Amino acid sequence: MSKSTDSDRSPATTDPVLRTEGITKRFGGLTAVDSVDVEVHDGEIVGLIGPNGAGKSTLFNCITGTLTADEGRVRLQGDDVTDWPEHKIARAGLGRMFQETRIFGGMSVRKNLLLAAQEGGADIGGLLRRPDDSLVGRTNELLSYVDLDGLADTQAGRLSFGQQKLIEFVMELMAEPDLLLMDEPAGGINPSMLENLIEYIRTANDEEEATIFLIEHNMDFVMEIADRIYVLAHGERIGEGTPEEIQNDQRVIDAYLGRE
Amino acid sequence: MSTESDDGLLRSVVPPAWVDQLFARCQTHGWTLILISAVVGALPPVFGLREGYVMTVLSEMFLFAILALSWDIVGGQTGYPSFGNMAFFGIGAYTTAILVKDAAIAFPIAILGAAIAVLIFAAINGLIVLRLRGHYFAIATLGILLAVQQVTRNLAIAGGASGKILFDVPPGVVFYYFFLVVLVVEIAVIYYLTQTRFGFILNAIRDDEGKATAMGFNTTYYKTAAWMLAALFTGLAGSAYGLFNTFIDPQTAYNGAWNVELIAMALMGGTGTVAGPVIGAFGLHTVIEYVETAFVGWQLVLLGAAVIVTVIGFPKGVVGTIREYANEMDYYERGGMAAADSEEPEVTTDE
Repeated sequence: MSKSTDSDRSPATTDPVLRTEGITKRFGGLTAVDSVDVEVHDGEIVGLIGPNGAGKSTLFNCITGTLTADEGRVRLQGDDVTDWPEHKIARAGLGRMFQETRIFGGMSVRKNLLLAAQEGGADIGGLLRRPDDSLVGRTNELLSYVDLDGLADTQAGRLSFGQQKLIEFVMELMAEPDLLLMDEPAGGINPSMLENLIEYIRTANDEEEATIFLIEHNMDFVMEIADRIYVLAHGERIGEGTPEEIQNDQRVIDAYLGRE
Repeated sequence: MSTESDDGLLRSVVPPAWVDQLFARCQTHGWTLILISAVVGALPPVFGLREGYVMTVLSEMFLFAILALSWDIVGGQTGYPSFGNMAFFGIGAYTTAILVKDAAIAFPIAILGAAIAVLIFAAINGLIVLRLRGHYFAIATLGILLAVQQVTRNLAIAGGASGKILFDVPPGVVFYYFFLVVLVVEIAVIYYLTQTRFGFILNAIRDDEGKATAMGFNTTYYKTAAWMLAALFTGLAGSAYGLFNTFIDPQTAYNGAWNVELIAMALMGGTGTVAGPVIGAFGLHTVIEYVETAFVGWQLVLLGAAVIVTVIGFPKGVVGTIREYANEMDYYERGGMAAADSEEPEVTTDE
């Protein structure tokens, strides 16, 4: 942000999309997340890495409101959302893809997408209207974008795991959140689909200016796609920097990456 | 799951593609179908069927279709199986009976009063029990039913355990039309809702409530709305039932066996569909009526057996099973599974 001193941005928009301040979460005697600060700025792709049990998903859960942090604040576009209920935080512009991939299996693929679109809103009028043609057109567009256009009317639960993962991603493209949290997007999908996914995420970032914060264990993937990376170990933030800096950070190498 | 050779004959006689087309037509012409059904339903009294056994049975079929379809709004569409829907029925029946008999209020206005009473009751208990899920929800709703029944039994104005006898009720044909109209309106409302964002949200809650919350939906709000809608139609059916039957007591108004029956109807027809619970209600009630006359006393045995067979053999019910038959083919034809990569890494040939 320091580089844009003479920009004409108003103060409100210079707030990071996401800022956590000293987030701490304890489960009994275990401190899963220990006073962690992260910032994600508009248009960035930020990675979150660390060994299993480092507290990555717990940090995500504190951001989304699934869990309430014991200490610290979560700010979304400058608003303190720490004590907001989960659905209200989501409504304020936070999207989330889950590690285990969660879509609505009993509904058609198209209904999954229509539901994700935020235009319908939560007011009574929006709830009781049928989705308009432009919205249906958008679902067709996105499904053909990820080569799943033949499956619009298929029950989402019948799709393969990889296809479901794509649908979950496309649902977020429908929703256009200010910030998208992705929990291990590369987990469990084959190499060729992974390449596609990288491409889709990049395009969303370049063209739709999607801001993404992602947990990932696939180092090639995260080093390739992220602008900046945070490293957690035992709940503490032990590193932050560009992929290059992280790869050369002695603490990170010792705690997680290891040596070649 | 059946193998290809098992249903090869069926596939050649009734190709899934036809069934799929039939489904698509029913969906595009849904409103026409509802209208035709309403007109057909309205005809028998016009042609002279104004009283007697057949008209009573037909009225009861409409009644059970209302109850099964109402149960399905929450039990099927939203995935919260309730064993307490008959509480709404009983409260509707008693409110109307008390208003008509003790307050001398006209039948149509009494029904309006009953609807309001049931809605208030549903809003209050919905906000409490809809926080529970699965078994816990089922047991809690059963608890409500038993509690309300017990309270009614000890209420002087409700006639206590001996109930209320109602005189000077309208003729049977009035109730025939009342149940028909309520049913048609309910079908239309649910058919419309399944195409709206509200309907999608209910299905999303059924499939993964946590994900729905993470997408920004305050699920308690939608569940309570669905619960109140179910209560409204169940209460309306109940409010007319007391007069239709000319007698209510706590046992008939809060009938736990009926609660099981209407769940069985929804399951057999196909939960989470508009037509399923109606088809299930018509079908099962016809069978039960037949058994009641032909094999007196065996109807509950038959009901139990039918539920077991349905749950094991056709867990998706009539409509669900047929739809699956149609869709499966559709899915393979579109190359769904062929394109469905997924767990296995692709084999590259360059060595």
